Amino acid sequence: MQSSFDLQYIIELMPILLKYLGVTMEMALWGFLFALILALGLALVRVFKIAFIQHLASLYISFFRGTPLLVQLFLLYYGFPQFMPIFVGMDAFTAAIIGLSLHFSAYMAESIRAAILGIDKSQMEACLSIGMTRLQAMKRVILPQASRVATPSLMNYFIDMIKSTSLAFTLGVAEIMAKAQMEASSSFKFFESFLAVAVIYWVVVIFFTRIQHLLEYKLNKAY
Amino acid sequence: MISVSQLSKKFGDLAVLKEIDFEVAKGEIVVIIGPSGTGKSTLLRCLNYLETPTTGNITIGPASIDALSHKAKDITELRKQSSFVFQNYSLFANKTALQNVAESLITVWKVPKQEALSTAEAILVKVGLAEKLNVYPSQLSGGQQQRVGIARAMAAKGEVILFDEPTSALDPEWVDEVLAVMKQLALEKQTMIVVTHEMQFAKEVADRVIFMEDGYIVEQGTPQQIFSNPEHERTKAFVKRALKQH
Repeated sequence: MQSSFDLQYIIELMPILLKYLGVTMEMALWGFLFALILALGLALVRVFKIAFIQHLASLYISFFRGTPLLVQLFLLYYGFPQFMPIFVGMDAFTAAIIGLSLHFSAYMAESIRAAILGIDKSQMEACLSIGMTRLQAMKRVILPQASRVATPSLMNYFIDMIKSTSLAFTLGVAEIMAKAQMEASSSFKFFESFLAVAVIYWVVVIFFTRIQHLLEYKLNKAY
Repeated sequence: MISVSQLSKKFGDLAVLKEIDFEVAKGEIVVIIGPSGTGKSTLLRCLNYLETPTTGNITIGPASIDALSHKAKDITELRKQSSFVFQNYSLFANKTALQNVAESLITVWKVPKQEALSTAEAILVKVGLAEKLNVYPSQLSGGQQQRVGIARAMAAKGEVILFDEPTSALDPEWVDEVLAVMKQLALEKQTMIVVTHEMQFAKEVADRVIFMEDGYIVEQGTPQQIFSNPEHERTKAFVKRALKQH
């Protein structure tokens, strides 16, 4: 059976899907916030080579970069509750945020670490020479400079994370991908439904790319 | 006020500093000269613990440290007693001239921010940069950057300012303005240890000149003694060559 392209359907579907964009963005924003905090911690542990913990950090990064996000989400949501009762009451939305944070923190830790290591060694020396501690130097001089270097790649991970929230529908989270899937199966207009959801993701990503450029411009002012 | 005893530094098997002993009095201006790669900069960096000495003792003002038993806290305390002027300026790239100078006051000495900024401003005015307070390092000339570097070192409240070849990376046109600032500091009896190839500066400004070679202090004395009447053959040869170039 071949049907003709139904633009009217897409126009009508858009507002229905957009109602669920909030859930998608909430997952992405919380996920990114937690991932950023985790990644910063992991990066600092590795940069300062803190005994023992740095090996745990390396193992963590290796695991979360070495296995697919979908597998991690399934492990977390369907697997863990069988062994650890505290996970039993966890809803799919929370599980998705935790899974996204853990996964992306591993990648982001590496780009933050690379940015820190890319700052000239003399900047740290200059801090130490006037009596600052390494931690003060990190906070006041190294991280502000590294954040400028890391911003483009961190923003890329954020954009990637927005798109990866679509995997949360496999856990049963009602976000835009899940809604598109539902609408498609009831109307049989698969092409229109998935095209609509693709356009929404695309527009959102274009918006955040704009923000990325503004942010980079601001951070580059001193240089 | 500064006392260094039996200071040694090895990089692997290579001994760069060999049981150095020397003292510097308050207000004294000491210039260290010698061929490249003979440990002058390493000595200076050890005083600020940017290099960790292999063995030996360093005392600056109230802070004292032994290389074999130092703790992190001792190192920070020692560093507070001195400040460093780098060959390549090493200004904080993310901070304005004013913020560069105020940073040690705010972060290390916990001076209230407004007070720290006005102190920093006064120092920058003194080194002739009143017009450049809110400018980032990347927008300053080499000479201006190094003057900010000196201002930053002045603000740090240390007993001594350590200068590591402060004019070596500068275009010739900027050298004089930096030396002028250093001379002004010398007139104010700021204790300084200066590693430099500027022999004219050493002659004019130093209270004492130290000639180093191969990780040893070969000879030290007044500029008059070292430049006009050196005792050692090696000092003689170096001074003769160095003065000819200038």
